[in-house]
Amino acid sequence: MAEPELLLDSNIRLWVVLPIVFITFLVGVIRHYVSILLQSDKKLTLEQVSDSQVLIRSRILRENGKYIPKQSYLMRKFYFNNQEDGFFKKTKRKVVPPSPMTDPSMLTDIMKGNVTNVLPMILIGGWINWTFSGFVTTKVPFPLTLRFKPMLQQGIELLSLDASWVSSASWYFLNVFGLRSMYSLILGQDNGADQPRIMQEQMSGAAMAMPADTNKAFKAEWEALELTDHQWALETIIEHLHHLALKSEV
Amino acid sequence: MASISEMYDVGWEEMRDKLRKWREDNCRNSEQIVDVGEELISEHASKLGDDIWIIYEQVMIAALDCSRDDLALTCLQELRKQFPDSHRVKRLSGMRLEALERYDEANKHYDAILQDDPTNTAARKRKISILKAQGKSTEAIRELNEYLEQFVGDQEAWHELSELYINEHDYGKAAFCLEELMMTNPHNHLYCEQYAEVKYTQGGLENLELSRKYFAQALRLNNRNMRALFGLYMSASHIAASPKVSAKVKKDNVKYAAWAATQINRAYKVKLSIWTATKSSLLHLFSKMD
Repeated sequence: MAEPELLLDSNIRLWVVLPIVFITFLVGVIRHYVSILLQSDKKLTLEQVSDSQVLIRSRILRENGKYIPKQSYLMRKFYFNNQEDGFFKKTKRKVVPPSPMTDPSMLTDIMKGNVTNVLPMILIGGWINWTFSGFVTTKVPFPLTLRFKPMLQQGIELLSLDASWVSSASWYFLNVFGLRSMYSLILGQDNGADQPRIMQEQMSGAAMAMPADTNKAFKAEWEALELTDHQWALETIIEHLHHLALKSEV
Repeated sequence: MASISEMYDVGWEEMRDKLRKWREDNCRNSEQIVDVGEELISEHASKLGDDIWIIYEQVMIAALDCSRDDLALTCLQELRKQFPDSHRVKRLSGMRLEALERYDEANKHYDAILQDDPTNTAARKRKISILKAQGKSTEAIRELNEYLEQFVGDQEAWHELSELYINEHDYGKAAFCLEELMMTNPHNHLYCEQYAEVKYTQGGLENLELSRKYFAQALRLNNRNMRALFGLYMSASHIAASPKVSAKVKKDNVKYAAWAATQINRAYKVKLSIWTATKSSLLHLFSKMD
């Protein structure tokens, strides 16, 4: 059965939909510039730089080791993985896990992250909900179940209304996620306004990018290097080349 | 003396773009850079905006190459005024001192930078090049080794070290450095070819075979590499001439050497025909002009 289409006042489009888009966008731009201002300098120590390069070298050895002679490959593998004094076995870095409470710079970083990202989103979301309440704003193009009603239709207490009709708060959230590509167009990649990505990074970053975890990285690299074998790519190269050359001459 | 813009009929934007291209390609055509850059700075400084600082740096290094101390000093002073605390500018003033052969003062400059920022690679590399300029190659090699222990990923440094070792005739270690380079740039035929040449110079049957393989690899990556072709011919013929190989290996290598020889002949024939064609067209042109 055909659902009756609701006809919305075009004023809604003019005074609700567009302003929310503008507000979201401008807040994002402001957030980007504020994050630039509040950015603190990250000083890398010599050890960190050196370690990161060693890890890269070991990875390249694994990947491209087949281009150098077997002897050289074994020499390097031995250097890294030898039981007594291989680099990965011998080097133990002092691991100071930077817990948020004790490390002051981490603490300020987290605070700044909260202030610039989460707080404005909550405030503005709440304000929009309060200002633009009591009417539906837009309809999402796909059908939703009834479970979504209390979430997406915050101020409207109609039992029979289709769940596809959403309120302005949900339009705001849609904007936050949707304008990410606009931000990268205007502000360039890696901008401070890309909030969902920042939230994602915060959640996964806290789990993996701990700078003091080089010991674990070394261990992982050691295991990987133990497993790789040397398959010399140049074993039959001259025959291959000769064959190709003869073929092309014919 | 006519200015560049009059001689070549280019505007300041084209000159600026040319400088940018040279900067990105890392060309070392210092005289041209000095000519173009000097004019750009003196006539069109205000139009360049923020680009001018990087042009100052580029022109200054080129001026040091051409012994234009006056120009280098002006550029340096402008940069110092704008960026008083910058390590990059300090490095440039160190380079100027090096050009004037005041090596001790330059060393002091670089030590100051390193004290402030131990991870600064540019200052370390300049110190090593001072040692090289003074002719102290053993110390330069030692310092470079220490540098590479810290910064294993610096390819420029590996290449420099391989050159230093070749100069000292320490071919084994040079081969090690080139292996690092080959691993990080597996598709660069020049490294393969250099490695093959080092192995060929080391001599001995194993190394000859290795060098033949790597010359072949270089040819596979770029089949117009003449040096690799020559190298293939030489190494194959040497292996064939060696008394220790089996008859089959000898036969194979003779075959490879012959193939390489035909390729070389063919390449020269093509070049010769191009050359004779050019020569005849030029003669034709000259005869018409008379």
